[in-house]
Amino acid sequence: MIELITGVLATALLAGGVLVLGALGEVLSQRVGVFNLGLEGLMALGGVSAIITVAHVPNAPLGMLAAIIVGLFAGAIFSGAVVLARANQTLCGLALTIAGSGLASSIGQSYSGQPAKAIFNTVSVPYLSDLPIVGRAIFSQSPLIYVIWIALPVALHWLLFKTRHGINLRAVGENPAAADAAGVPVTLIRFCYVTIGAGFAGAAGGYLTLAFVPSWSDGITGGRGWIAVALVIFAGYRPYSATLGAFLFGLITALGFVGQARNWIIPPAFLSMLPYVVTIACMIIPVIISRRLQRRLAAPAALGVPYFRDQR
Amino acid sequence: MFRFHRVESIKPWTIIATRVISVVAALALGALLFAAAGYDVPRLAGDVMRGSFDNMFALEDLGLLVSPLILTGLAAAVTLRIGLWNIGGEGQFYAGAIAATVIGLEIHADPALMLVVLGAGGFLGGALWILIPALARAYLAVDEIITTLLLNFVAILFVNYLSTGPLRDPGQAVTSATARIPYDIPTLVGDLHWGLGVAVALAIVIALILAYSRWGYEVRLAGANRFAAHYAGIPVPRRLLQTMLLSGGIAGLAGMLEVTGTVHRLQGGISNNFGYLGVMVAVLAGGQPIGVLPAAVLMGIILNGGIVLQSYGVSIYQVLALTGLILLFIAVGEQLAYYRIPHMAQRPTR
Repeated sequence: MIELITGVLATALLAGGVLVLGALGEVLSQRVGVFNLGLEGLMALGGVSAIITVAHVPNAPLGMLAAIIVGLFAGAIFSGAVVLARANQTLCGLALTIAGSGLASSIGQSYSGQPAKAIFNTVSVPYLSDLPIVGRAIFSQSPLIYVIWIALPVALHWLLFKTRHGINLRAVGENPAAADAAGVPVTLIRFCYVTIGAGFAGAAGGYLTLAFVPSWSDGITGGRGWIAVALVIFAGYRPYSATLGAFLFGLITALGFVGQARNWIIPPAFLSMLPYVVTIACMIIPVIISRRLQRRLAAPAALGVPYFRDQR
Repeated sequence: MFRFHRVESIKPWTIIATRVISVVAALALGALLFAAAGYDVPRLAGDVMRGSFDNMFALEDLGLLVSPLILTGLAAAVTLRIGLWNIGGEGQFYAGAIAATVIGLEIHADPALMLVVLGAGGFLGGALWILIPALARAYLAVDEIITTLLLNFVAILFVNYLSTGPLRDPGQAVTSATARIPYDIPTLVGDLHWGLGVAVALAIVIALILAYSRWGYEVRLAGANRFAAHYAGIPVPRRLLQTMLLSGGIAGLAGMLEVTGTVHRLQGGISNNFGYLGVMVAVLAGGQPIGVLPAAVLMGIILNGGIVLQSYGVSIYQVLALTGLILLFIAVGEQLAYYRIPHMAQRPTR
């Protein structure tokens, strides 16, 4: 039993990491008022870039760097379209998902199915990793885990809610006209944070192919980009809540693995459906329970609305 | 130096021209990328056109791709009219195919009657698949983009489960598929079945309903301005729900026609991304049901191109990447059309 709990916990942290990275990137993007529906495509691009990089230079951090750079680059194109040209965010997000997934699959064809040439190895923390249950689950993982689950959420929370820059950043998402009048560079902030958010999504892809799976195949992202977007919505656009939500989804994924490994009577296909079904339930049920909760978790007021200075 | 000047409104023909320019520009960029990757682009383009138009067989193949694209495009277009996105066409397509397969395998009756029953079953299957996202959208304002999309994954898993598990035809050793559905859609010419006729007719009917009926007017008004529609006494949530159910049903009908008319067995991957490409078709068509027809033909040629060019090492993924590029160009072009260079656009009249 203890073995089982340890395994589930360890897998949950490993699997949820993809969602933490994706969701945190989306928090940044949505807090400045841009709906980035291209996460799925960005993850695929990041994942394939990481795999191709380590195939040539077997160094996992370098592969991760490649994933981030590709995410930033694709994100800059997306930002250029939605922030500078003010194109429809839904359309551009879908375009990014379709183009990104298609491009990733076509350049990744010859790498499909092979294990990654370099992965993020696990490191056992002395003494702590000997603790019962949590020892092996938390302290015998890749060091990347601590960055993803602790450092990044704390840093983002601090940036958004404890700094002056964070106030400006949120103002851009709530009321860009007022922010503009107060001298905040709306377009610049939107462009930068949407691009950085895309970099996070690229990193999520790199993490997927270098730490979690670790290999590349078509459709490996499997809707995780969309789940990350949904996570941000029902986490009320908050880094900590999004991280917690990612952990819950990690648990669900882990439960699916355990079920398949232990030959539960539920067919594996239904276990694989769980994350998607639970995501939908999480988007709907809180709204049914309480409208007040919905208001508390409301989206940034200017989310999805392009800003035209001459029309304020 | 001049600054670009944004105009408030543009003429309809400017919108159409922009759309054509966007598509051409995206295809040109795609061609450049293919050329950079070492492909002989003029020869590929020639092969694609020959593969779609050269002879009757090619035209039949194109028609078989265009029919589902018209329907999934129509499905996405009707929700666009009321300002919603149905990205779940892929899932509803599969749901319709599942419903048609189960009914077709279990019930034995007069073939002509059964085709009607199968069609109704496919429509209901698709509508049922979108029911929860539609209710959540209409009455709880839950974002429909993500809920409809996530159900695609569920549907694909469900089809794989059915075709490899309970509905698997034990006679099929190699592929996992259900038994052959014992009903066929009458053919129009060669392999091309009447699904194309149904699709075109439905596009025309829906265009007429949206343009001339009271219901269509209310849907369009709710799409143009939801608050104004509410104050005008239109039951907006009910129209949102009805539009989404209609959309899901049309996509389900596409799945029914595909599984009964073209593939004949339910198996994984029977949709050539028709659901996703349907969204593209609807956007290309600007959400207009009649515009869906030419847009579906264009998308059919592109999709067919991916199939024709497989011998050159071009895969469906490159085709998808190209369609994504087209979508991006349309989205950006749509906005750029509002900008003018002031010196050229208007002379001072004083």
